Amino acid sequence: MTPILELRNVTKYFGSGRERVTAVDSISLDIEPGEIVCLVGESGCGKSTTGRMVVGLLPPSEGQILYQGQDIASMERADYQQYRRAVQIIHQDPYASLNPTQTVRQMITTPLLRHQTQATGQNGAGSGRRGRRRDAGRRAAELLEIVDLTPVSDFLDKYPHQLSGGQRQRVSVARALTVEPKFIVADEAVSMVDVSIRVSLLNMLYRLKDEFDVTFLFITHDLALAKYFAWEGRITVMYLGRIVEEGPTPRLITDSRHPYTQALLGAVPEADPELAKKKVHIELRSAEIPSLLNLPAGCTFHPRCPYFVPGECDLGVPGLERIPDGGSVACPVRMEEPSQIV
Amino acid sequence: MSQTTDLSWHQEIEENGSQPPLSLQNVHVSYRTRKGSVQAVRGVSLDLQAGESLALIGESGSGKTTLGLGIVRLLVETAEVSPGRIIYRRDGRELDVLSLAEGPLREFRWRDCAMVFQSALNAFNPVLKVWDQVWDTAKAHRWNNREEVRERFLDLLRFVQLDPDRVINAYAHELSGGMRQRTLLAISLLLDPQILILDEPTTALDILTQRTIIDLLRRLKEDLHFTMLFISHDLAIAAELADRVATMYAGQVVELGPVEDIFYRPRHPYSLGLIRAVPTVTGGFEELSSIPGSPPDLINLPTGCKFHPRCPFASERCSSEEPELERVGDNHYAACWHTDAVQEDIERSGLRGMRSTQRERAPGQ
Repeated sequence: MTPILELRNVTKYFGSGRERVTAVDSISLDIEPGEIVCLVGESGCGKSTTGRMVVGLLPPSEGQILYQGQDIASMERADYQQYRRAVQIIHQDPYASLNPTQTVRQMITTPLLRHQTQATGQNGAGSGRRGRRRDAGRRAAELLEIVDLTPVSDFLDKYPHQLSGGQRQRVSVARALTVEPKFIVADEAVSMVDVSIRVSLLNMLYRLKDEFDVTFLFITHDLALAKYFAWEGRITVMYLGRIVEEGPTPRLITDSRHPYTQALLGAVPEADPELAKKKVHIELRSAEIPSLLNLPAGCTFHPRCPYFVPGECDLGVPGLERIPDGGSVACPVRMEEPSQIV
Repeated sequence: MSQTTDLSWHQEIEENGSQPPLSLQNVHVSYRTRKGSVQAVRGVSLDLQAGESLALIGESGSGKTTLGLGIVRLLVETAEVSPGRIIYRRDGRELDVLSLAEGPLREFRWRDCAMVFQSALNAFNPVLKVWDQVWDTAKAHRWNNREEVRERFLDLLRFVQLDPDRVINAYAHELSGGMRQRTLLAISLLLDPQILILDEPTTALDILTQRTIIDLLRRLKEDLHFTMLFISHDLAIAAELADRVATMYAGQVVELGPVEDIFYRPRHPYSLGLIRAVPTVTGGFEELSSIPGSPPDLINLPTGCKFHPRCPFASERCSSEEPELERVGDNHYAACWHTDAVQEDIERSGLRGMRSTQRERAPGQ
């Protein structure tokens, strides 16, 4: 099967000269249709930059992004428009991503009307402007139902400030669905929402995968959420712009190999007192994350890594190598050692 | 990295029997707004015992931060604390915090009860170096021996595992989030307070940084026996650090008990709902469920039990009669008419639902 989305050695720089920062450093990733891929890492690891490049909000500095086998940088206009419609993003902050002066109805019918015009061309005016408005209104109600904003009539005429964080995020999803996307990038889409409603948002997103064959790139710093959402998918761990480990979620969670992944898994606070006591924490050699302006040579994790081998880790940049249990690891030193977090 | 610093100056308060250093008695806090009175805290009674760490957990709007700010009297002017009493005890003397005059109040803050705020960047003055802020604080509390203050602060910075030379002459913006949070913690300990209130101490920090802060707080708790009040929406903080947990909902403590009881034998549907909504990282796949609905409007609160519109156990009684905290076990209290049903539900379907490798195709809530 052709991957729906493919990153080939994608690099993104910001700034230039001595101020140049490499936010994403030559990453490659294939995502199959219907898959859920989670991108996890701490702030500054390049996960959001990657997400923004995937939806076309930022051009890569080097490398290619392919949508359905076609490089988005050299697409024909019509194909490019189709790609931009097919790949949508849900942003982190539902307080900033919705227009405060529009009602939910306006926010959802506007793209519907615009999309409809494009789909039917100028001849589509047969049903008349009023007819199109009525269709858009009907579709808006359906979309709100899909995202569980029911009864719909309670929400259509609300402004964002009248909604809770969770409800706003559902509106964002409904808005993304107006253009019938095939691929959704969810960038920390539930991290600003209260814990009690996070799960229902995640379950709603998960349903989209089943009902509309949406493929997900789920970006989060929260490994527990990644595990829950992508249990049947894959997790990709990034550190300072590079992928350090990836693999099927169950393997990555229970038997991670890269010291950074293990450090993260060991460090995550657990909402379970026994587990919190039992878990092994990996002692790092340094608590400070290196500056992107002055990255360490070789493996960028080496100044913090407890398994640092002088003369090896600080020279060459380790490449991702396949491991038998699924996925790949960029650490020749530890890739064969089973995890001992629990 | 793991050097230990001598903090022998920390005077442990002897646990002289029954007198808790802090007692909240029927505390109410409301905010005046144009739409009406927002009842943020409604009748909270709690004792904070010497040397214990108590976590207040709950979602946004549950009143936990308001309560924390109320204890050090830092609420905005539109807030009113009434009725209720906040009693502070140290060395046999007793203070009524709510009636303290400006001078004694300033003494009480920091020296007796220090608060570490959620947003570490906002807690610093951006145009002062860290040392200048520390020195100002010391002077404000009439501690004028510059060398002594400096010595103490350097010790504290080493205790929070920071390089004193790097921090002491830095501006807040020059420090990373984790360094800022640790510096703030060091400053809060400067006057050796008896009580430390920490509002979301790890929120917005990266995972590895969170871990260093949690380990640090654990040392404060286990080695130095600080009395701490954690305020967090994050259950993990409670699980990692608390001896006792108080679950807050709509301005009330709805369940209070030892940490194991709250996490493994919760008796209030809201505590249970929170636990069932939070995934753990290690272990197999767990089915999670969320709490339907959203938190109540604090101006027009529901009748009866404030949780009843969202509660799967609710009966008719819940919508008319408001339950009070009742004893359900050793030191374990819950405010619910259906604590037995909650217990039965856990016995029947387990605490976190089915553990399986296949995701249930549960309809969305």
